[in-house]
Amino acid sequence: MILLRLISWPYARKHVLRSVLTMAGIVLGVAVFVGMHTANQSVLAAFHQTIDRIAGSTQLQVSSGETGFEEEILDKVRSIEGIRAAAPVIEASANTGQGNLLILGVDMLGDRGLRNYDLEGSGDAIDDPLVFLAQADSIIITKTFADERGLKTGSRIPMRTMQGDQVFTVRGIMKPGGLASAFGGSLAIMDIYAAQKVFGRGYKFDRVDLALEDGITLDAGIAKLKAALGPGFQVEPPSSRGQQFEATSRIYALASSLTSVFALFIGMFIIYNTFAIAVTERRSEIGILRALGATRAQIRTLFLAESAISGLAGTGIGVLFGILIARGMANYVGGLLSDVYGVAQSIGEVSPEPWLIAAAVTMGLATSLAAAVLPARAAAGVDPVKALQKGRQQSLSAGENRTRRRWAFVCAAASLAAFLLSSIGWIFYTGYLLAVLTAVLLSPALSLWLAKLLRPVLARIRPVEGTLAADSLIQAPRRTSGTIAALMLSLALVISLGGLARASYDSLAEWMRVAFNPDLFVTTTESLTARSFTFPASLGEALRKLDGVEEVQNVRSVRLPVKGTPIMLIVLNISSIEKHAKLPPVEGDPATMYQLAAQGRGVIASENFARLHGAKFGETLEIAGPAGVVRLPIVGIVRDFSDQQGSILMDASVYLKNWNDDSVNIFRLYLKPGVEPAAVRQRILDQFGTQQRLFVLTNKEVRAFAIRITDQWFGLTYVQIAVAVLVAILGIVNALTVSITDRRRELGVLRAVGGMRSQIRHTIWMEAVAIGIIGLALGMALGAVQLYYSVEVARRDLIGIEIGYAFPFQVVLIMAPIMIGAAFIAALGPAESAVRGSLVEALEYE
Amino acid sequence: MIALRGVSKHFAGKRQVTALRGIDLHVGKGEMTAIIGPSGSGKSTLLNLIGGLDRPSEGEVELDGQALSRLSDDDLTRVRRDKIGFIFQFFNLLPTLSCLQNVSLPLHLRGWPRKKVEERARELLDVVQLTPRIDHLPDELSGGERQRVAIARALSIYPPILLADEPTGNLDTATGIEILKLIHDLHERLGATVLMVTHDTTIAESCPRTIHIRDGKVFEDVRR
Amino acid sequence: MSKQLLAWTLLTAGCALAQDPRQIVAEVQKRQHSDSQRYQGTLEVIGDGNRVSTKSWTYQRIGSFGDSKARLQFTAPADVKGVGMLIVNHPDRASDQWIWRPNIGRDQRIALQDRSTRFFGTDFSFEDLEERDVEQYEFKLVADDGAAWKIESRPRKKSQYTYSLLWIKKDNYTFTKVEAYDAKGLVRTTDYKDYAQVKNIWTAMTTEVFDVRRKSRTILKYEKLEYNLPFKETDFTLQALRLGL
Repeated sequence: MILLRLISWPYARKHVLRSVLTMAGIVLGVAVFVGMHTANQSVLAAFHQTIDRIAGSTQLQVSSGETGFEEEILDKVRSIEGIRAAAPVIEASANTGQGNLLILGVDMLGDRGLRNYDLEGSGDAIDDPLVFLAQADSIIITKTFADERGLKTGSRIPMRTMQGDQVFTVRGIMKPGGLASAFGGSLAIMDIYAAQKVFGRGYKFDRVDLALEDGITLDAGIAKLKAALGPGFQVEPPSSRGQQFEATSRIYALASSLTSVFALFIGMFIIYNTFAIAVTERRSEIGILRALGATRAQIRTLFLAESAISGLAGTGIGVLFGILIARGMANYVGGLLSDVYGVAQSIGEVSPEPWLIAAAVTMGLATSLAAAVLPARAAAGVDPVKALQKGRQQSLSAGENRTRRRWAFVCAAASLAAFLLSSIGWIFYTGYLLAVLTAVLLSPALSLWLAKLLRPVLARIRPVEGTLAADSLIQAPRRTSGTIAALMLSLALVISLGGLARASYDSLAEWMRVAFNPDLFVTTTESLTARSFTFPASLGEALRKLDGVEEVQNVRSVRLPVKGTPIMLIVLNISSIEKHAKLPPVEGDPATMYQLAAQGRGVIASENFARLHGAKFGETLEIAGPAGVVRLPIVGIVRDFSDQQGSILMDASVYLKNWNDDSVNIFRLYLKPGVEPAAVRQRILDQFGTQQRLFVLTNKEVRAFAIRITDQWFGLTYVQIAVAVLVAILGIVNALTVSITDRRRELGVLRAVGGMRSQIRHTIWMEAVAIGIIGLALGMALGAVQLYYSVEVARRDLIGIEIGYAFPFQVVLIMAPIMIGAAFIAALGPAESAVRGSLVEALEYE
Repeated sequence: MIALRGVSKHFAGKRQVTALRGIDLHVGKGEMTAIIGPSGSGKSTLLNLIGGLDRPSEGEVELDGQALSRLSDDDLTRVRRDKIGFIFQFFNLLPTLSCLQNVSLPLHLRGWPRKKVEERARELLDVVQLTPRIDHLPDELSGGERQRVAIARALSIYPPILLADEPTGNLDTATGIEILKLIHDLHERLGATVLMVTHDTTIAESCPRTIHIRDGKVFEDVRR
Repeated sequence: MSKQLLAWTLLTAGCALAQDPRQIVAEVQKRQHSDSQRYQGTLEVIGDGNRVSTKSWTYQRIGSFGDSKARLQFTAPADVKGVGMLIVNHPDRASDQWIWRPNIGRDQRIALQDRSTRFFGTDFSFEDLEERDVEQYEFKLVADDGAAWKIESRPRKKSQYTYSLLWIKKDNYTFTKVEAYDAKGLVRTTDYKDYAQVKNIWTAMTTEVFDVRRKSRTILKYEKLEYNLPFKETDFTLQALRLGL
């Protein structure tokens, strides 16, 4: 401790900039880790809170996927012993004239047993369910919503319903708190029977919320209900509604963990670099300490302690930054996930959980300690006699190269072996790790080789400075190998992320070209993802009769539990799909799979469904319907990006038979050749637009929409890329600062023996640029490998889709000037301080 | 050749330290002069000022009638590179460069063609009798050998002025004498003006002129 | 016990002198017997802070106590007009109750689980609209002050109340007051006032219910009370309610 205060502290104080830059890697890694996870968790927490608020005292919810069920089910539920209260619910989001609202259609009579509608104000109508029930246009809004928009009891809110435009009347205002604070107040209550009409639900409920009598356990309740209702119904506590949402956020968590691990890994090199140089620089100091009686262990402990302290400090700052990042990210993630409810999730408190901070501290500490192990060992190995002899250099890294190369060879061999056995998950990931390790171990040798290649090039540009710069790299690889490794890693990360984004973008675009080829889309909402409203099938008949319409495909998309997860079931006329929009086949005979599916003898699964949920071609899927379990084999696997968790294509006939539901989410219209889509669109709007809520989107608009959603999803990738670029820049700045300080005396000698300022400057600049170029070259090479692994990770565990391997040359084209520019800019400051400083001091510097 | 007029040097710090106070000095062309004084007397500072490594707080340093104080840093470097060769106590060789490369360095900096540089560097190493060590790194050399490399480097273009700061200070007596002999030899052969800082009176006495510095002032100026 | 607060009020009359509490209550029930009944009710709800809301309905009833059918239809205010309700009492089990909502053209069953909830913003609960025969309770005489009996009644069937206290005037066998309790204590008190004899049946023309917990009071006043009208069974069906007959 004393040593730390007497020896380390003055040193750190003298090298403030360097210390800060050293910590920066840890700061960044921890910040990304804490930030992303906190954002994720806050969104999740907010989501669960919302679920709780909406659930009230609901203990269990009975649902049948998203299909809803007949009203009789309610009586059936109510007739079961032990249920204290059961109330039907329709939940949907709607864009009102006053903004997006989550609308809860409830039965005011029974619902109060579950939810507390704390109404405020005065006047007859309020708090009087009779008026609320008597008038079908009644709506209860929250105080927050009312205040924001200047609404009062009796105010009118227009809404496009499935029966045309309707005006609703505010018949109650809920006080803030509880239910009324869900979604920041963007929530409204409507009578359930009125809601059925507004959202085109027919005589169906979305679900039944219920509470059990005292003394009946949740499990007993579930068992009773399941036994009474049969397999077509899910009986779950409200909290399990987060499933879908959690699955999505898990992808985010995994992706952000990978980024932060990478950032920390790179941070480790930065720290290693700094410490390795610090040990050389403080050789005489170490010598003195040793001469005064410090043991090797003490020296080693001193360096490790320094590293631990800077690691902790970096972690601390990183956690703070992480919270800032989380604040920014939370709204973004919340917005992304808004499609679960259709109303943006507002996030309350954003603060990291204790385990997250503990994990961050562990990671930060482990990283900095690991980075300092080798330098600390070198420091402990300092020979006091030699160290005290001024002007003598002790080579501290003799033999390191050979060992490193040997290990690199071992890693490479092991990684190759793992590659051959990569069908097993952990072996695959080990191989991935080994490949990266190989690259790291080989990077000094490779950069030496590259520097030698660069030497004549640099010499040609500027004979004196170029040669000096190249020689500096060649003669002292130790100084720059850490930086180059960090650069290589970050560039590899950028390349793999960019390549992944690029390739998945291309696959998406290809899929969109096929999947979105109808001329017009008739939808219930402006967005394609919202499924709150449905059309009656009869509209399809009417559309079919329109002039210029060749064919209409009815599409019904619902989430139903398959293999325990809510999976998107896409119901349509399969033979029509075969004719117009054959999706790229992955497995199965494309000639017969559509026919089998059209005949109701099977379903077609999407590639990502199969991959993520372990479904095999030919396997029989069990899909629970209200009439019992429907068993259908997978007759084909195709590429379909409709849903992140995968999708299942089912023929309309099968669905109608088993679910008794012919409602439609989207009509896809193919027009006769030569017919102008705009004209048909106008015809549809004229004919149906007034009596029916509908939107007509052209092919182009739908694709633009899909692209926009995709872009949103790729937002995270861009954040990761930004982090990687930042780390790369940080690495260069740090390494150059350190390296130039390290060489002050050398640079002083250069000037003393006649080097002009400009010559010194140019030498440093060229060296920096050379580092950039070498890092770029190695990064490209590792990036190519890394991309392969990323594509595999995505296929196996993230999105379940085989993304083609395509090296992102565009990314490299963009990154090259950024990296080299960053290197150059990073060199400016240190170069200036090198030429401006006192020559006398520089010469005496040791 | 070298003229100092009223040169003082202060170092700012928590306490201002005056290293030199009002030095007036003239060294003629081809003179070999030893500057002697106890440690901290300011002799190294004096040498740094003459070599243009540092600038005086007051007064003027002139080389060949050219006042250094008015020169820009680059011009000062040019003066250094054309007129002065430095020999340091701690050799100040670049540890990552071989002997040949170290000696070549100033020539490279002058932009000499590679071939000419190598020719000259070999020639210089021959002058200091280090031809067999030509490709060795400084770490692989003895102290005396290192100082020879440093001297070879200082001689790069046969500068008219050679400044040596305790050239034997880090060497054993025998090697010191050897190096001193080399410097004398060079002085005679090349006719350069040599200014040598030392605290060793025997070394000082081997020079035709000895300037004693004490407490930042010229205490004694002896010509033999 | 007093789930039949409202029900009790609908039948007031009787004779017989029995000290057995069950017989006393049976006598009350007997004296209040009518084959059918109709009145115009005015409901005044005086909520917390003396907020007053008023509603009116027409009430019709057919059949003997505990096995009757009743329908009521709101007549005022304008925004609730037409909303109806049908109650079918069963001697052996809980009643069936439906409401009819003309504006959306749907009827809706009131679930058993919801019977304890307030009846449309009044201080009655849906359960209070139900008639339960004397056979469905256990009685115990608690006090006798000379002019009136105080009887405790406990329901045999499931109810929101655990027991009720009934005050019955000895001279004409009419309720004057009912206190209803649940596990947590007193829930509602009902006062029967302004007794008048219509067709020989003593009827409380004013019923005042006080919700102890909400501190809210509902006053129901009878107007145009008639007994023994020639109603048809078919008028007391959902069909009839839907058609507005």
